[in-house]
Amino acid sequence: MQILVCVKRVPDTADAEVVLQPDGSGIKEEDLAFGINEWDNYAVEEAILLKEAHGGTVTVATLGSSESEDVLRRCLAMGADEAVRVDDASFGDADPYVVARGMAAVVAKGAYDLVLTGALSGDHGFGMVGPVLAGYLGRPHATLVTSVVPDGSHVRVTRELEGGLEETLRLELPAVLTIQTGINEPRYVSIMGIRKVRAKEIPILDAAALGLAPADIGAQAKRIVHRGLSAPPAGRSAEMLKGTPAEIARKILDILRERGGMA
Amino acid sequence: MPKLLIVVEHRRGTVKDTTFELVTLARQLADTSGLEPAAAVVGHQVGAIADTLARYVPRVVVVDAEPLAHFRYETHAAVLRDILEAEAPFLTLAPHTAFGMELFPRLSVESGRPCATDCIGVEVEGPELSVVRSVYSGKIRSRATLAPAAGYLATVRSGSYPVASEAGGAGAVEQRPCPAFPTPLRTEHLGYREEEATAVDVSQAPLIVAVGRGIKDADNIPQAQALADRLGAVLACSRPVVDKKWLEKERQVGTSGRTVKPKAYLALGISGAFQHMAGIKGSGVLIAVNKDPKAPIFGAADYGVVEDMFKIMDALKAEAGA
Ligand SMILES: Cc1cc2nc3c(=O)[nH]c(=O)nc-3n(C[C@H](O)[C@H](O)[C@H](O)COP(=O)(O)OP(=O)(O)OC[C@H]3O[C@@H](n4cnc5c(N)ncnc54)[C@H](O)[C@@H]3O)c2cc1C
Ligand SMILES: Nc1ncnc2c1ncn2[C@@H]1O[C@H](COP(=O)(O)O)[C@@H](O)[C@H]1O
Repeated sequence: MQILVCVKRVPDTADAEVVLQPDGSGIKEEDLAFGINEWDNYAVEEAILLKEAHGGTVTVATLGSSESEDVLRRCLAMGADEAVRVDDASFGDADPYVVARGMAAVVAKGAYDLVLTGALSGDHGFGMVGPVLAGYLGRPHATLVTSVVPDGSHVRVTRELEGGLEETLRLELPAVLTIQTGINEPRYVSIMGIRKVRAKEIPILDAAALGLAPADIGAQAKRIVHRGLSAPPAGRSAEMLKGTPAEIARKILDILRERGGMA
Repeated sequence: MPKLLIVVEHRRGTVKDTTFELVTLARQLADTSGLEPAAAVVGHQVGAIADTLARYVPRVVVVDAEPLAHFRYETHAAVLRDILEAEAPFLTLAPHTAFGMELFPRLSVESGRPCATDCIGVEVEGPELSVVRSVYSGKIRSRATLAPAAGYLATVRSGSYPVASEAGGAGAVEQRPCPAFPTPLRTEHLGYREEEATAVDVSQAPLIVAVGRGIKDADNIPQAQALADRLGAVLACSRPVVDKKWLEKERQVGTSGRTVKPKAYLALGISGAFQHMAGIKGSGVLIAVNKDPKAPIFGAADYGVVEDMFKIMDALKAEAGA
């Protein structure tokens, strides 16, 4: 099975302070740690597991600047065979439609049975690239996938619905799947492993190499036009408990006894 | 008048609350922008669902056919494309759930209408559609407009609007024929899989101690369990803890896990993602401990503590006595 996995470099913002650019055009990136999008890590692992079980190859692709190369190398260290980086000034600040155009062009250059993406990206969280890409390619898709089992010319997948309910689907190959967290346990990547793939060449594909015209990927191809970022409105907020840990603990216990019915 | 179409999310005969939240948004947009709301019910044997919706919106468009018995993007997108062509709505809405996420981005490509997903606010600005989204772990708001088009699609985050009440009166229910599908169909629904019932039931627990990614390591789970035991609470968690297999799936609280309604919920090292918060909506008092003062959970909690959760866990154990 030939598998392409789309991956993205994103900042870790759950644990960090996020500071806006004064003009609201973006966030300050200097103090943030970047890495592979959490969902994409699971997607790469799933592709490698499929390769290990059924043979084939795994290629990872990203649309992004040279800073994204670390993420691709990490995927190679996990066991991906090839990596490609799509980069062209005309992509600009790509929305999911433009990313999907770029990835569709990469797919068109290969013979992939399966394209995997993450269910969503941790920064802007659209959850769009996978199904939009499938739409551009005219291939079947399934989102929020929690298991993948090849079945001849088809693939059986489970999709996560809600409240612990899942559905099982059978899709014709080639297909596009978006991978949900928890589908597997992504392998650990050691520094040694990354060192081993340090010299591996990562081709850079620009718009011309992909046969993409500005109308496909430039500003006029964007469907979601960014109008600026702002801090969330202050709104309602919690009453803060202060003091030493022991003092805070006593306050919490008082609340739990009074309102939580704790004995 | 420009139209607004709500694509109704239903499964196995039940309409999800998410749909009635969209009704609230639709009524707001009817007031502010003169959009005329309608609902689309696509499925099989959905007469009762259509009648329900007719108590909320003035018009319900129904496509009822056997191949639509189980939702599949492939058949549903074909039906909706047909409806969009006939109705030409200015705006079409779906909830941002496993249903909307599967359907709308694809429908966007197939119908040529731009789509914004996971919106927490939707406004009409003249001929344009403007949306507000929550980005970067809920710490930043992002505003975007969709590229000018004859019609727009948007999926809306659950909990962004309150559930609507009935309008009083019955809307018109109109049947539409089911269009021909591309043959052969390339997706097939094989069935549902329910989570197995297990020993732990967080949904009935009166007191919950919940840990998130802040617990950091599987080795720290016993500490959290010991605290829960000491307080007479049930231990629950956010999704990453289950994804990493540190705790069982049945302890996961949120949209893809359990819904809980304890008298008190003590959240340790949980950021407050909407998928988690949706599961604790019915809880009594919410106390959040997080080392990040900007964590979104403080916007929803009754009491907040900005501190290392491990220090608070130790202190709670000590202060609770033997
Ligand atoms: C379709 C879908 C369904 C989902 N369903 C669910 C669901 O059912 N339930 C669910 O929970 N999530 C669900 N999620 C995931 C959800 O979007 C979030 O990723 C998740 O809730 C984050 O969990 P968290 O708060 O534990 O982790 P994070 O967001 O990483 O937050 C960890 C927090 O811990 C704090 N912290 C770290 N160390 C410490 C310390 N020592 N002391 C104190 N605080 C500390 C950090 O400041 C941070 O705020 C779903 C996602 C999708 C896409
Ligand atoms: N710049 C990018 N390059 C490659 N793949 C991407 C890029 N952005 C998003 N993706 C893929 O699309 C998925 C969903 O992203 P999104 O639609 O932005 O939420 C991610 O998990 C990635 O697999």
